[in-house]
Amino acid sequence: MARKRVDLDRRTVLKGAAAGAAATIFAPNIVAAQSKVVRIGMPTILSGRVAQLGTSSRNAVQMEVEKINAAGGLAGRQIEMVIRDSKGQPQEAARVSRELVNSDGCEILLDAEASSGSFAVQEVAKDLGVLVMHTNSETSSLTADPKIRIPLAFRSCRQGIHDAVASGAYAAEIAKAKKLNRWGTCSPDYAYGRDNTQLFVEYLKHFYPQAEVTTEAWPKLFQPDYTEVITRVLQSKPQALYSALWGGDLTSWVDQANIYALFSQMEVFAINMADYTALTAVKNLPKGIHSATRYIKTYPATKANAEWGDAYRARFKEYPTNWSWENWVGINFIAEAAKKANSADGKKIAEAMRGLKIDCPFGTDGTVTMRADDQTVIGYAIGWGTTIPQEPYVPEVKGATWDTILQLEAEWKKRNNYT
Amino acid sequence: MMATRPNLVRDVAIAAVALIILLLLPYVWPSKMVNDLIIRVSAFALFATSLNLLVGYTGMVSFGHGMFFGFGAYAFGLSMQRLGVSIPMAFLITVVSSALLGLVVGAISIRLKDIYFSFITLAFQMLLYSTVIAWVPLTGGDQGLMGGIPRPPFLGIDLSIEAHRYAFAVTIMVIGLLILRQIVESPFGYTLRMIRDNSERATFLGINVFRAKLTAFVIAGVFGAIGGMVMALFVSGAYPEFVNWTMSGEGIFMIMLGGLSTFVGPAAGALILSLLNDVITRGTEHHGLFLGAVILLFALGLRKGVTDFVADWFRLRREASSRSGS
Repeated sequence: MARKRVDLDRRTVLKGAAAGAAATIFAPNIVAAQSKVVRIGMPTILSGRVAQLGTSSRNAVQMEVEKINAAGGLAGRQIEMVIRDSKGQPQEAARVSRELVNSDGCEILLDAEASSGSFAVQEVAKDLGVLVMHTNSETSSLTADPKIRIPLAFRSCRQGIHDAVASGAYAAEIAKAKKLNRWGTCSPDYAYGRDNTQLFVEYLKHFYPQAEVTTEAWPKLFQPDYTEVITRVLQSKPQALYSALWGGDLTSWVDQANIYALFSQMEVFAINMADYTALTAVKNLPKGIHSATRYIKTYPATKANAEWGDAYRARFKEYPTNWSWENWVGINFIAEAAKKANSADGKKIAEAMRGLKIDCPFGTDGTVTMRADDQTVIGYAIGWGTTIPQEPYVPEVKGATWDTILQLEAEWKKRNNYT
Repeated sequence: MMATRPNLVRDVAIAAVALIILLLLPYVWPSKMVNDLIIRVSAFALFATSLNLLVGYTGMVSFGHGMFFGFGAYAFGLSMQRLGVSIPMAFLITVVSSALLGLVVGAISIRLKDIYFSFITLAFQMLLYSTVIAWVPLTGGDQGLMGGIPRPPFLGIDLSIEAHRYAFAVTIMVIGLLILRQIVESPFGYTLRMIRDNSERATFLGINVFRAKLTAFVIAGVFGAIGGMVMALFVSGAYPEFVNWTMSGEGIFMIMLGGLSTFVGPAAGALILSLLNDVITRGTEHHGLFLGAVILLFALGLRKGVTDFVADWFRLRREASSRSGS
């Protein structure tokens, strides 16, 4: 059979290629059966140094979306997640978020960005008028400061001020019992490290006024060698040391401090230690480091939490992270609010979400609440305990009291003219 | 001077046509994504073209041009947030302050040549970056300028409306590029080319090379800062990444992709890099690998930017037609 030869001149090919490229690049997917599916856009960090946190956020959301969809989705509409990498850059987070709404037809944003990205996404949500759930930004001002807060933005994760009160109270109790008066600090030199440490010291002194900071070390973010920092701390001989180092920085620091036997010479309080990513990465995890829980399946010590941690591990071959549970809370708040509002409309979901209480494996009493006045989550589990070198890593955790947290948070807000 | 007159008319005509096309585009192709892309490309086009004034026209390979882009974003954002001035006033503050920054950094840097010049500009950029990170009460540190940049209306323009923002960005870009074009086509522009090709010769002809280079550095800085200002308006914030060395790297990539021997090369590079970034980020998390491969292809394989090929093609066609005509 003779083949028919198709004549294509250069112009036709070029035109076709241009049209094809334009269609691929700019095709508005908004038409994708809008009535059936509700698209939720999720900008997060999937590449670079903290990619593991972004991936663990995505994993948690995928697990939950499957369950929510099996139970009928958002008011009868199935959820379709559109997840994009922001590379941890705020301007990319802004661009990707705009693209998710404007071009991919996402009606809701689940913002799984670190702090700086979340402020950029907040501006996009303000501009475009879409519902946004910030799932990872711990910076208190995002929801506390009325100048920054917007009606359609919510937060489903822990925040700095809650952590600081809980940490100060716990550390003060140990300090009182062991007469730890001379304190040192060693935290990364950027906004989070400085804010976190300053607030910790403030609440440590609030609960134990005898505490005094005699040495401060501020290693650079992502610093590879901590020798100078460690020797400086050792020379000043504090009785206790507080650190807000996190992730790879924390594990490198612990490994290097081990060489100098730092952990046998003082009580160490490392707020970000009790997260599996850090606990499993340290070569020889010292016994007795005090840490706040980030995510640990033994706290809250409930069946629901342990089962969720195991299910996650069975599926993804690693433990969940701090960001995982925070995203669980975010997507489930959206689902429960949609159920209450019987609608997948962002504004109606927002209305239903204010003051909503949902069952949650990560709540101190099995529930968490979306506080109505500043649209941020409260009642999640915060506790402190000490490490052991093997599973369960932090066997006993002392939970913080939310009454104290809320009372001191209210005073803090007043001091900052947030109320 | 007389010789530049016809070119001026032609350039203004081209700029006017380009501006009309860009302004009409949202009506012909109403896509918010395309609008967003063009706003970002407007910012990057000013940034890359101003960098090319140094790299392509003067032969000064600055590795620290991102400093001006970031400075522009912060200066504009801070003026709007802290001083509560109008947008034209904030624009003026940005232009004047970036010119001063260019003057100080330039006066120190351009005394050095080649790689030393490149590195001292990079050092200044990292100094500014560290300052932005460390000066938390003013800049917000690593979290950037939070809470959004206010956009009060002025002269009937309300930049909180997307259509106005788009029109503003493309107008600024077209006017900015037109001014830069006039600079590179002026006797001063040809002086810069002479300095690039043979600075001793320029000195012997009585040109104050230092002053010419410094002027170019300041002009490039100001237009780089205007690019940053457009970006700050788009994202309603300013972030340390704008001041980081990676921004300077992207500027160099844009020039390489688009081509440094044509005036519109860097702007074309800005469009190509933004498109590549957007398309690749959509498809894969390994965007660094793909983007790197494309840049390697240009650097090692093609050894020219896209507009260089277009320019060559036109030149060959012209030569062929003049041969056949003779």
